[in-house]
Amino acid sequence: MSLEILSCRNLKKQFVENQVLRGIDLQINKGESLAIIGASGSGKSTLLRCLNFLEIPSSGEVSLRGELIGSRQNGQVLYQERDLIPIRAKIGMVFQHFNLFPHMTVLQNVMEGPRTVLKLPKSEYESRAISYLEKVGIPEKRNAYPSELSGGQQQRVAIARALAMEPEIMLFDEATSALDPELVGEVLDVILKLMQEGLTCVLVTHELGFAYSAAQRVLFMHNGVVLEEGSAYDVLVEPQQPRTIEFLRGHSRFQLPSPKNSQ
Amino acid sequence: MGYVWEFGVVFNQLDLLLAGLLNTLKITGGALLFGIPLGLLAAILRLSTYKWLRVSVGVLIEFFRTTPPIVQLFWFFFALPMLSGIEMDPFRASLVTFSIQSSAFFAEVFRGGIVSIERGQWEAARAIGMSYLESMRRIILPQAVKRMIPAFLERVIELMKTTTLVATVSYADLLYQANNIAQSTYRPLEVFTVAAGLYFIVLFPTSLLVKRIERQLAKTGEGTVH
Repeated sequence: MSLEILSCRNLKKQFVENQVLRGIDLQINKGESLAIIGASGSGKSTLLRCLNFLEIPSSGEVSLRGELIGSRQNGQVLYQERDLIPIRAKIGMVFQHFNLFPHMTVLQNVMEGPRTVLKLPKSEYESRAISYLEKVGIPEKRNAYPSELSGGQQQRVAIARALAMEPEIMLFDEATSALDPELVGEVLDVILKLMQEGLTCVLVTHELGFAYSAAQRVLFMHNGVVLEEGSAYDVLVEPQQPRTIEFLRGHSRFQLPSPKNSQ
Repeated sequence: MGYVWEFGVVFNQLDLLLAGLLNTLKITGGALLFGIPLGLLAAILRLSTYKWLRVSVGVLIEFFRTTPPIVQLFWFFFALPMLSGIEMDPFRASLVTFSIQSSAFFAEVFRGGIVSIERGQWEAARAIGMSYLESMRRIILPQAVKRMIPAFLERVIELMKTTTLVATVSYADLLYQANNIAQSTYRPLEVFTVAAGLYFIVLFPTSLLVKRIERQLAKTGEGTVH
């Protein structure tokens, strides 16, 4: 039996006039890797941001390990910032634009959570930060400042910063969209390694090839709802919904041919 | 014509002028000591999510920014004792006035610095589980303060010059002493020239520092806040 880590029920989010999420049901189990795809404006980033409460959902429920987040009152769930802080500490988030702290070195960036939030002793938060920098493959940059790193290196530091909190689940919000194409690979390699080690991951991505080879489950979102959901093969190779087919066709319109004399 | 400058009489009383300079520095330093934390607090309250708090602190800040400091000084020195019985000597009244007055200006500098930090920094701090105050203290303020330094030093220069008003409530600052010496020696030109020179000696390096920091920040691609 699989253990549920994060789930949401009938999740809705409205920005003034604009209904971005129109009722999302989702369950993410331990060790699972889930990719969310869809066009810009389909609500996939908002969904991710509602799952760690960087955005407060308008209605619906979110549960971590089966426990409702927030307090239920008259059928409505109310959220208080002080209840959300410990929840965010258990949910790792990686942003499109890295958002590293520019006034801190790489090591300080990664130590910040264990130090300020978890309040670990110095010996512990330092060795923990170094071990996660090793995991993402840049321990030698520990004393550099973010501005001295390439985009790919910065994103790997951001991943280490999230991992250092030892979260139950990692959310990747278009983690490679802001990178130069030649730097995408090194970041995807790190994410793939984490997935293979059994870390629960949800990624919002435009890298369909990566979603196909790395994610166990793929979700196609359109206009604030999940239109299609299934194994990577089912959704990406043999989609059923016309919208999904159209979206995938748009993505594969221009492709390089294979070499004529390929083995 | 030909005015004959006679600085000798001024230099004979240089100790009085220097005592006045010391008092000027005391008021300026004291106003900074209290005005900066007060300004930070006011800035944070003005950025509050509670509208009533935001608005009332905003009105207070604007009141002290837009009314003449000499009126504020008279109010604390003359009006407050009549209305409430709280009496202050010239030093205290001056200190209270300039602490509050400069805090209103510092509040706006702090606010400008804080809002200039990208939203992504707040989000990254919150995403690793930091509270509002932790994010502010560890992530936002260290970056904001750096951008604020030039605007901040400009305020220090303005403040020190504005403290000349304390002479009007008989606090013995540099200008007050200069006035006294001018009246006793009949050499106002020399006395006020030397007094101006003393202000210049203190503030010119500060002004140079502003320029230097602005250049450095521009080099690393960071803006400054005004």
